[in-house]
Amino acid sequence: MLTHLIILLDDTSPSYCHYDVTLKERRLIGLDDLKSGILFAMKENLNIQFVYPSYELPEEYVEAIESIDHTKIKPDSQSDEADVLILSDWKEVITDIAYNSTCIIRASRTELLDNRKQLKALMSKISRLNIAITDVDIFSDNDIDSYKNLLSCIADDVYAIIKTGKSLQVNLLTDLMMLDEMNNCNAGVNNITLAPNGRFYLCPAFYYNNSQDEVGDLRTGLKIKNQQLLRLDHAPICRNCDAFQCKRCIWLNGKLTLDRNTPSHQQCVIAHLERNSSCDLLEKLNRNGVKINNTHKIIKKQELDPFNIVNRWK
Amino acid sequence: MSQKIKDNSEGWQSGMARSITFIVTKDCQLACKYCYLVGKNTKERMDWKIAKEAIDYILDREREFPEESVAWEFIGGEPFLEIELIDKICDYLKKEMYRRDHHWFNSYRFSFSTNGINYHEDKVQNFIKKNYNHLSIGITIDGTELKHDLNRVYKHSEKGSYKDVVKNIPLWLKQFPGAATKVTISSTDIPYIKDSVLHLYNLGIKEVNINCVFEDVWEENDDVDFENQLIELADNIIDNGYYKEYACSFFSEFIGKPMDKELDNQNWCGAGKMLSIDAAGNFYPCTRFAQYSLRDKPAWIIGNVRDGIDQNKLRPFLTLDRTTQSSDECINCEVASGCAWCQGENYDAADTHTIYQRSTAICKMHKARVRANNYYWNKLYRKLEMEGMKEEYERQKTKVKESIC
Repeated sequence: MLTHLIILLDDTSPSYCHYDVTLKERRLIGLDDLKSGILFAMKENLNIQFVYPSYELPEEYVEAIESIDHTKIKPDSQSDEADVLILSDWKEVITDIAYNSTCIIRASRTELLDNRKQLKALMSKISRLNIAITDVDIFSDNDIDSYKNLLSCIADDVYAIIKTGKSLQVNLLTDLMMLDEMNNCNAGVNNITLAPNGRFYLCPAFYYNNSQDEVGDLRTGLKIKNQQLLRLDHAPICRNCDAFQCKRCIWLNGKLTLDRNTPSHQQCVIAHLERNSSCDLLEKLNRNGVKINNTHKIIKKQELDPFNIVNRWK
Repeated sequence: MSQKIKDNSEGWQSGMARSITFIVTKDCQLACKYCYLVGKNTKERMDWKIAKEAIDYILDREREFPEESVAWEFIGGEPFLEIELIDKICDYLKKEMYRRDHHWFNSYRFSFSTNGINYHEDKVQNFIKKNYNHLSIGITIDGTELKHDLNRVYKHSEKGSYKDVVKNIPLWLKQFPGAATKVTISSTDIPYIKDSVLHLYNLGIKEVNINCVFEDVWEENDDVDFENQLIELADNIIDNGYYKEYACSFFSEFIGKPMDKELDNQNWCGAGKMLSIDAAGNFYPCTRFAQYSLRDKPAWIIGNVRDGIDQNKLRPFLTLDRTTQSSDECINCEVASGCAWCQGENYDAADTHTIYQRSTAICKMHKARVRANNYYWNKLYRKLEMEGMKEEYERQKTKVKESIC
């Protein structure tokens, strides 16, 4: 069931996930489209998440946006009143960030390792960090140890921060502790995106990858073909998996396996390395007397790709 | 080669064979009206370099191809148009499987599906003699001259090809007495089904594998006409005793039953467990995913002879099951068993880029088949009971394989 509408206010609104913003020219969503999008969300009972560009919006846009309860996803250059902040520059991440912010950082695995100090400083100031890995598609089995090491480094920093009594969530490591069922992105099932061209897309990635890949528009409404194939119960590898924190990105699925309901080897291995690191972190916290209200015990797994055992589930 | 090559049946594990298909040409003498190959052309002919690279790639990776046996298949267009290349490929395969002491040596077949037009030619016959113990050749003949020539026509003249094919049937059956033929039914063929199957029996072909095309070609009342044809065919087969020695895949005791969501959840077709290679050196999960087979979708390329197979692009195929790709109507269908699908057609007809949307264009034809099939078995078993032959029949009945491609 759809619960959220994401509205990209401009073609240059920054990415908050795996995809790259491929459009460089500013194009603000038409005011009529913005108002129609808001009306659509009100009638469909959807929560709206506005993704802001890195410049100030005209007054009439601000007025329209403020006419409805919403979440502001903003680039760090426009951080005022942001509910979620997208960080673009490692040097600036540490300044002027309020403790209760949720931040998103997009980075390659190498960038994360190279900027570990800044990452730790950032985590010590905020309540939640979502890390979006930008190079999932080029991950290979040769990278398993280095990603394990990266997660271990971040986990050490998370541990050190939590140990001081501060509350901190990092999607890759702590989400799994609080989940007892899949909590995937669910693009096209729970959320849909309205792009600046007034058309709907499963998520922003589809818009930036191919603007023809729409799933309806404001005039004719949503037309999501094969929507059942976006659901967890129609994903043979994922529906029995317990790496609950995995994004299960249907855009990456389509890009790497050509079918949106099938995750790539990379996505599975990455999610399971995160799963195992969550397990290590939870054990370390418990061992050292830090109380975590985890929902279930995480058991480490040797098999990193559930595809290899999927036939046992059939 | 000092090692003895086993005979045809020895060592060959058909149930555990990997199919590897060389699309040696996209050309054919014919332009059959129901042919799913929409992109046939004279230009895309495989050259030796690509063929050799493909063979080396596959044989170099013995552990990635662990099946006990292999069927090296040659397809077109019309494969025998490239008999010289095929001969070279087969010689190289035999030599290399032997040299490498590959586990497929002595457990391989060369398999062909041909229109039969140049079956009698010296080059083809020499090839058959040379590889006889490892050959499987199917000639497609659709039945009576009228039925055959309705669809199977030459590409420029639109002249029917029946006479050029039927003259080669005696030679083929002499060389391969148990050979089966494959018949494809489209909308316009329905009135000729009974006569065609009986005609093929009379030509001496004892196994007729026959199926309706999966494409959405069916007209109103086709199912009624189809059912009537099958009932007439059933009467003929039973009344004239053909059932004792002949088989027709339309009639099977295993079709038309409900299917369990969990216990009967296998995929129907083997796409993804096969490998096809085209003239450009691209790999496909099945020939049906090459561009010349697809009307509306881009080719589903899973790699090429230079870069190898991208396993990610095979994952959707290897995790396919029946229920995930089926609608609730299909899952709960009371006559579901035996209702086939072609993964390539599913992909081509799907609303999105997916192999997980089962095409149901064949639904009413399957239901008609089930009704006729029920009639066939009720009538046959009653007759056998009356004659006291039921147990004898059960012991000896001809097994028919379900053939869909």
